[in-house]
Parts: sequence; C-alpha cells; structure tokens
Amino acid sequence: MAGSLTVFRKELADHLGSKRYLILFTIIILLSSLSAYQGSQYLKNNPNLGFLAIFSGQMFGFSFIQLMVFFGPIIGLSLGFDAINKERTSGSLSTLLSQPIFRDSVINGKFLAGAAALSIMTVSTIGIMIGMAIPLLGFGPTLDGILNIISLTLLTIMYLAFWLSLGLLFSVLTKKTSTSMLASVATWLTCVIVISMLATLIANAVVPITFTPTTTIGNATVPGRQNPQQTSEYRALMEQRFSIQNMILKISPTNLYSEAASAILGVIASSSFIGIDRSTPFRSLTLSQGLAASWANITIIAIGLLVCFIVSYIKFLRMEIRPGG
Amino acid sequence: MSQPVIETKGLTKVYGDFTALDNLNLTVNEGEIFGFLGPNGAGKTTTILLLVGLSVPTSGAATVLGYNIVRESREIRRNVGLLPDFAGFYEDLSAQKNLEYIGLLNDLSKTESEKRATELLETVGLGEWKNVNVEKFSRGMKQRLGIAQALIKRPRLLILDEPTIGLDPAGTKEIRELILKLNKEQGLTIFLSSHLLHEIQMTCTHVGIINHGRLVVCDALHNLTELLTESEGLSLELKIHNPTQELLKEIEGIVGVSRVLQKEDKVYVTMTSDVTLEISKTIARHGAYVLLMKPKEYSLEEIFMKYYEEA
Repeated sequence: MAGSLTVFRKELADHLGSKRYLILFTIIILLSSLSAYQGSQYLKNNPNLGFLAIFSGQMFGFSFIQLMVFFGPIIGLSLGFDAINKERTSGSLSTLLSQPIFRDSVINGKFLAGAAALSIMTVSTIGIMIGMAIPLLGFGPTLDGILNIISLTLLTIMYLAFWLSLGLLFSVLTKKTSTSMLASVATWLTCVIVISMLATLIANAVVPITFTPTTTIGNATVPGRQNPQQTSEYRALMEQRFSIQNMILKISPTNLYSEAASAILGVIASSSFIGIDRSTPFRSLTLSQGLAASWANITIIAIGLLVCFIVSYIKFLRMEIRPGG
Repeated sequence: MSQPVIETKGLTKVYGDFTALDNLNLTVNEGEIFGFLGPNGAGKTTTILLLVGLSVPTSGAATVLGYNIVRESREIRRNVGLLPDFAGFYEDLSAQKNLEYIGLLNDLSKTESEKRATELLETVGLGEWKNVNVEKFSRGMKQRLGIAQALIKRPRLLILDEPTIGLDPAGTKEIRELILKLNKEQGLTIFLSSHLLHEIQMTCTHVGIINHGRLVVCDALHNLTELLTESEGLSLELKIHNPTQELLKEIEGIVGVSRVLQKEDKVYVTMTSDVTLEISKTIARHGAYVLLMKPKEYSLEEIFMKYYEEA
C-alpha cells in the first residue's frame, strides 16, 4: 500500500500541475459559471421549481448536466489515455517497476490520483455554481436539496471516473499514445454525436411512416410535415420510434448519466436529441424516488467503471516489460 | 566464499514458440564484476528481467542475494539496483525530483531521499544539473542518472543492462570509471550486460558469454584467456625486415614450432613449447632484422568468435 500512496501523491501532483488539467478546469469553470447564471435566470422565470433547477435548467446553451454529457468523456479520457503507454514508451515504466513496489501499486495509484483530480474538479465546479446562484437568486438549497446536490456530485464523480478508467484501458491496450488518443476521441464523438444520429436512423428505418403527413393550411389539406395532423396512427408510430431511439441511446453512458442526474435532481428532462416535444418535461421527484428511478443507470455506469478498471489491471499485471515494446 | 550473489539453475524463458533463454546455469559471487556478453537478442535483457522479478521464468529456479526470484522478487528489488535497458525518466521533472521519487518508492523518508538524491547526483557528476528537467539531458547524462537511480537504495548488487549503449567514447569511459570505482571503493558486486567485447574486457573480472539463449561459456576472464591459449598453443607475432623463404622454412624446422604463417608483412609462429629464443637466434643467423616480436595474447574478441563458432 505504501507504494500506491507514493505513486498516488506523485501522480496527483502531476495532474494538478499539468497544463492539460488546468485547461480543462478553466473551460469547465467558465462554462459552469455560465450555466449557473442561465439556471438562475431560468429559475426566476419558473420560481416553483426550487434551487436544484440551476443544474438542469437552461435558457440557451448548456445546463450543468448537458455540460457533463458533452465534456465529461473528454475530461475523464484525457486524464487517463496516456497513463501507462506514455511511461512505457519513455522507459520510465521499467525504472519505476525496478523499485520494490508491487506492480498493482502503479495502476492503483494512477487511477486513484486521476479520480481524486476529477473529484476536485467536480466539487469545486458545483461549489462555484452554488456560490454564484445563491446571491443571484437570493435563496439557497433546502436541507433536502443539499442531499440531492451531494448525490449529484457523487454521481458525476463516478461518471467521470468511468471515462477515466476507459482511458486507462486504452493506455494499457495500445502501445502508442497517439493511438489511445485517437481511440478516446472516437469514443467521445460516438457517445456525444454519432450514437444519437444512429438512433434516429435506425428508429426511422425500423418504423417507417407509410403515409404522407398532411398539413392543413386554411381549409386545404396539403402534404408536408410542418404541422402534421396529429392522427392517432401518426402519434403511435412516433411514440414507437421514440422508444426505439431511447433504447439505442441507453448504450451511451452519457445518456445514462443524464437520465440519472435528472432523476436525482427531481426532474425528468426532455432529451435534447429527440425531436418529439413532450408536453410535460418536468415532474417533481424526491431524492429517494429519483434514486429508485435511476438505480439501473447508476449500476450500469458502476459496472462499466469496474469492468474497464479490472481489465486494465489484469492486462497491466500480465504485461511483459520489454523496452520499447 | 559464502553464498553466491546470483545463482540460477536451469532458468528457461519461452515467449510463444521462441525460446529466449534456454537452461541457464550461472553463478556470480560477491565482489565480482560479472560481464554478460552476447549479441543483440541473445537473451541478456530477458535474464536480467527474470533476475529482478519483472518477468516470470517458464521453468528453472534462481536466487539473487538468497531470495527466490519468483516468490521474493520485491525483496530482490529492495536490495538490487537496476539500470534497465533504455532506462527512462519523467521528462517534465528535474533530475533531483526524479531521484527523490525513486527514493520514496524505496521507503526512504522525504528528507533522506532529498539528501541521497543530491549526494548521488554529485557522485555521477550531475551536480550542477540537478534542477534541470530531464528532457534537456543527453543520452550519457540520462545513463548516469540511471546509475544514480539504481544506487539510491544502497544496493548490495548492481545490475546494469547495456550501461554504455549509445554513448560516445568519452561517455563510455566515464561510465566505466564509475563502475570500477563503485566496485573498488564499496566492494559492490556488479552484473553488467553488453554486446561490446572491448568494454567487458576492460571492466569485468568474470565473463559469461550467451548466444541464442544458451550460456556458451562462463569463467574468470584470465582463465578464459589461458584456456584458449592452451587449446590453440603459444603464438608469436613477428615483423622481420625482408624475410626469405629459407628463413621461414628454417623457423618451421625448429623443434617446438608447429606452424608458420606469413600474412602481409607479418609472420605468425605457433609453438607447442616456448622456443622464442631459438627463433630469435635463427633470425639473427640469417642476418635479418627483427622489427617487432611479441607474444600474441588472445583478445576477448577471439574468445568470443571462437565460442560463437562452436555454439
């Protein structure tokens, strides 16, 4: 354990002093301040929603949740993608492993240091958002609200740690940092953009709309989608499409997180990817209801985190330490 | 002599269907500078990785300082300083910081790590570079830092994998002097691998030659030279001013001379017993002049090539 602690301290100091971390931190602080401001404005217009809406409410651009959906993968992956292969290429891994430490101390220390760096980022971001929102709104969270915020913080840390462990896995599986970086970027794009496009495509292919929607202009009925007549047949098909899309989107950890985070905040957010406007985007939930509604999502993220870490751990322990390869 | 520092019995390592190391039996005793010689890919690095527990043998057993290489590899790494092949460092940290980190990993206290790091940087001649980031270091400086890193734990055995690879002659000399100094002043046992014969010959007291994963020969350096001299016989290298064919014939006729060979302007005489004086007299009788006459010693290169051909 002593070895892990030494590696942990060194890696954490490296993270906190690295340009990479500082750049990400700056971006996140800037954007989250903006989203706290937006959330506060949103709350002023919808005063019955309660303090927690600063994390989910949006007027234009990002809410905190959407910020994490979009930037979370890149934050986590970027702290992990070169953890092992960079040291392998530079030869410092052989130097490190010729010291009297167990090999797992290295990967444990590195993972914990990354997770600690992410925790610091999350806690300070949420702290700054609250600190901004209270003077803007003139009131703070309730005691229950604080519990919700703590849960949201923990969920966010776990979600970011999942991306960290995926990055770590890439760094163990590939020899070159350029390869693992590419893999990270590809994963990020897939989760953030590609998967929602795919979901729409597949849903549209599986549930084709066999008739031409019609629009009523004046007394005439013309073909077009601008304001389709909401026949029950049309609605049913669209609902079907919607549920297929949703099922596909479940593959993406970003979507799992956004659902779980919304549930913890007591809201069911309208998914920004889906074309259907649901008439009631907000429904109040208590924390326990929210957790009950999202435990499946939370479990899947936790399992993903564990699987990535365990695979990297085993791969790393079995790795032959040959210079340059 | 008490327990050997390194003792391997039938050590074998197989990667897939490639046998990197085949039944290695090796003994290194305290105070030796053991040179492990072999061409690239002969199994030198594999052996070293096995000895410090960074790789697990397919079969066979070995002890280092009395510790089992599989079960007690951590104890080995606590007591053995290793300079790995192409040792690397954290490029964005200074030499001092790099060494301090290694010190901490060896359970030294923070103050002791700092102290040892500063001392060792002086020892390896990097004192003025201690606060410079390693990315600015030349290959030779990194290699010296690598030796400092291996020494921070006050090792009982130093294992150096190709310590002078990629260094210029001046750098090679510095490393060699450092190795000899450590051995002489601290009585440190040193195991070093190299593919450079000359380097081993100048540094080591004992030599093991490895090729294709097999140990070809292993003995004290002077024994090896003697052994070869015995099997090949004594030899003389001569340079004679205008040697005539009669002269050479006559030398060949001397009892004790087995062979005379003329190559360019030199004459090589192989003898079964030492008849140097007779040869000298014969040359004088013919009125020829000796420009050069010296007993021929076998260099490690010849030993090396000879054992290579046999292997």
